[in-house]
Amino acid sequence: MTSGYAGKILRLDLTKRSVSIIDTGQYEQWGGGHGIGSAIFWDLCKDKTMSGFDPRNVVTIMSSPLAGTLSPSAGRCEVQGIGPQGYPTEWFTRSNFGGRFAAQLKYAGYDGIVIEGRADAPVWVNVVNDQITFEDASSLWGLDTKETQQEIWRRVTGDRLHEWREVGITHTTQKPAVLCIGPAGENLSRIAVLMHDGANAAGQGGFGGVFGAKNLKAISVLGTGGVRVANAQALIEAWLWHRGNFEYNVDAPRHRSPIANAPTYGPINNMPGSQTLVQVTEASRPQACQGCWAACRRRTVSSLANESHCMSLAWPLYTLSSAEKSRVSTLGSSRLHVADQLDRYGLNSFELLAGDFYLITLYGMGVLGPGKTIECDLPFEKWGTLEFKEAFMRMIARREGIGNDLAEGIARAAERWGRFKEDSGTGVLTHAFWGYFQHMEPRAEVDFSYGSLMGERDINEHSFSRPLHVIPDQAKLFGIEPVVSAEGIVKIISTKVLPYEGDPFMFDHGEGPTGIYSASRAKTIAWHRHYTRFWSQSLGYCDFLWPNFFNINAPDTLGATPEGEPKFFNAVTGKGISFVDGMEAGRKIWNLDRAIWILQGRHRDMEVFSEYVYTQPVSRPWYLPIYENGEWKYSDCIGRILDRARFEEWKTRYYELEGWDINSGWPTRSTLEELGLGKVADELQRKEKLGG
Amino acid sequence: MAGIEASKGKPLSEGYLVVDRKKCCGCIACMLACSLVHEGNATPSMSRIQVVQNSFRCFPEDIELAICRQCPYPACIQACTTGAMQVDSANGNVRRVDESLCNGCGDCIDACPFTPSRVIWNHEKNTVTKCDLCVDAPHWIHKGGSDGKQACVEVCPMRAIKLVNELPQQRDGLGYNVNLRNEHWGWLGFPTD
Repeated sequence: MTSGYAGKILRLDLTKRSVSIIDTGQYEQWGGGHGIGSAIFWDLCKDKTMSGFDPRNVVTIMSSPLAGTLSPSAGRCEVQGIGPQGYPTEWFTRSNFGGRFAAQLKYAGYDGIVIEGRADAPVWVNVVNDQITFEDASSLWGLDTKETQQEIWRRVTGDRLHEWREVGITHTTQKPAVLCIGPAGENLSRIAVLMHDGANAAGQGGFGGVFGAKNLKAISVLGTGGVRVANAQALIEAWLWHRGNFEYNVDAPRHRSPIANAPTYGPINNMPGSQTLVQVTEASRPQACQGCWAACRRRTVSSLANESHCMSLAWPLYTLSSAEKSRVSTLGSSRLHVADQLDRYGLNSFELLAGDFYLITLYGMGVLGPGKTIECDLPFEKWGTLEFKEAFMRMIARREGIGNDLAEGIARAAERWGRFKEDSGTGVLTHAFWGYFQHMEPRAEVDFSYGSLMGERDINEHSFSRPLHVIPDQAKLFGIEPVVSAEGIVKIISTKVLPYEGDPFMFDHGEGPTGIYSASRAKTIAWHRHYTRFWSQSLGYCDFLWPNFFNINAPDTLGATPEGEPKFFNAVTGKGISFVDGMEAGRKIWNLDRAIWILQGRHRDMEVFSEYVYTQPVSRPWYLPIYENGEWKYSDCIGRILDRARFEEWKTRYYELEGWDINSGWPTRSTLEELGLGKVADELQRKEKLGG
Repeated sequence: MAGIEASKGKPLSEGYLVVDRKKCCGCIACMLACSLVHEGNATPSMSRIQVVQNSFRCFPEDIELAICRQCPYPACIQACTTGAMQVDSANGNVRRVDESLCNGCGDCIDACPFTPSRVIWNHEKNTVTKCDLCVDAPHWIHKGGSDGKQACVEVCPMRAIKLVNELPQQRDGLGYNVNLRNEHWGWLGFPTD
């Protein structure tokens, strides 16, 4: 077995409560993570049109050859299967999470887990090296995610949490890594998450509800082995090279934030603790996923919201009143308390943010509330308080009252109320694609919106957002000059996006001939989909650090991409792949995913945004570089709408670039065979869905 | 110091690892690096430095760092009947294991007064091992020892581990937990006390 790989994939049949092994070697060509997950799903899931709640749904949880080694920020764990969150179609989708689960899986001797069937009663799966058992979860059912994990720790390791514990002839001081659901998943919410440790969530896709439908409360993994590395010295040297050239030096930083404790500046200089996005004023430490030097989260002196980050904390920031945000009660900071509760319930923070704003808007319109057309007894007069947030989360997690609609996801809730079409037209509801909240500005930051629409969910990949949007955005926030000019940043990035290097117009967000409807923009989307399918999602390189185009900590401000990604992979595996080899692997995985969606019914005609994207103008500044009148500059994109006809022209350009039929969006046989996917072409042809 | 040396007959180590528990981010890069440079593979259970953490505990109690203290009165050496556990006078008096002499009895593991024991059982070789300040780290790229560089020190992204040459205060191990944070740490919004 190639170094880096454990050699075995666990296959769990929950119906029979049986375990078998898949040889990783059969799937090694797909890299790891997502690539292996898609290939296994293709092979094992015969009816790809079923609901995500169907017991036959095949869920894969895959690590990568880099997980558990000293590869920086390369320990993400990839989850795939049919996701019930997608609307109106439950697309085959993905999510991933950090922490230490992927590493523990490798130490136990496995590259991943495949889950099929449905247990006849609540179970949790206990993996301790080569011992796998199905345990009764009846006494865990109803516990929140933190209670669940701590109880499983106690059951697996006893109370000896700081000692060496014998595990057969081996030993460990570490706790089991647990992936579990909270009450939201138990109640089959389409917006329930899988949770690991404090706040590592596989958030999008609804996999928490999938686990609930399978009666699977948790998977616990404890491993005492290790990961074989082809060249330990090369790996150490690569780590030191990476840190030495690109890290934020906590003792002597090259570039500090403009003010103290300014976490929103983190994407610019990678300072630790910054993915909280909001100021954490109580004492804390930075906290890292295993093997990551960026340490983007925190653990607090109150323990509230330990490891919480991103939208879990941004949601209360955006929606709590100023008075509430400032209040510190016996519960601790209100903001931290909201995030803590959210993580305990196991709920999707993006959907709650969108739902929170949507409900208060409908309340203000007079259509939702006590005695209104849409009956809802939430205390809207207390919107912006902790009390409202607690009631809101509780009713969704427990499917109480209007929470029963909201637990279906905000898009489906709107549909139940007969409001989806109208509110998607006016922009009251900002779910731009496939039933997912828009995340970034879809009319301007099109790497996000286009990539999401060509795929199956909010991509949530900030590869271009950090250098192109956050840099000018933070400059405006702090009233300073951007750390790099618009021309400077697009030229830097354009040198690094192999194999499409040399075209800065790939990053022109303007509406001119070189902008967002151009052939250059087709290359941007293709690059992004291929990179993330392999380097990000198959090898587990974390979105917070990778790709790295611009790095203000480097003397020349040039980031680690494309040199860094293959450096660690080759040191671990002993292979000698290039960055472009990885891009081609990503293109293959992307086309396999495309084929799965086509079997689920995908067609070009479906790939359209919610109406507001074409009709409602951008109303708040969204800074991005544009090329206008022969020069580059940062624009606020105010007033923009997406031109429907020009976007359709862009789709045609994109399909042509990918080698897909321009009328259907389906890959052609020549494209698939060129990628070694001839059997996939055969299947599409049998189903009369092959591009002509 | 002369009195200490004379009373037990073991010369003091010339190098000690000290840590800043409040600065540690729990990435366990130190554990991974330790096993990589010594064993050639990434195996945390074989690491001679252990980071034990709990995601749900309050800072700073959420992380414990277990490092060998290079004790002035090394109980592990006293317990060893074969001479495997020894003071390496050629390498700054570091307390380390000569695996060729180890019979795998494990008495040194039990003798270590700290929890978790700083002596590590190697189940592949049926011997013990322990922190040697990277004196014998075949995959390390620097010279180790009390006048060299240690893998855990060099890889730590928070610079929370440091090699010192003076014997730390022994009472309650306070001398091994030090404050390595400066004003830049405070700028990030973390406590500096």
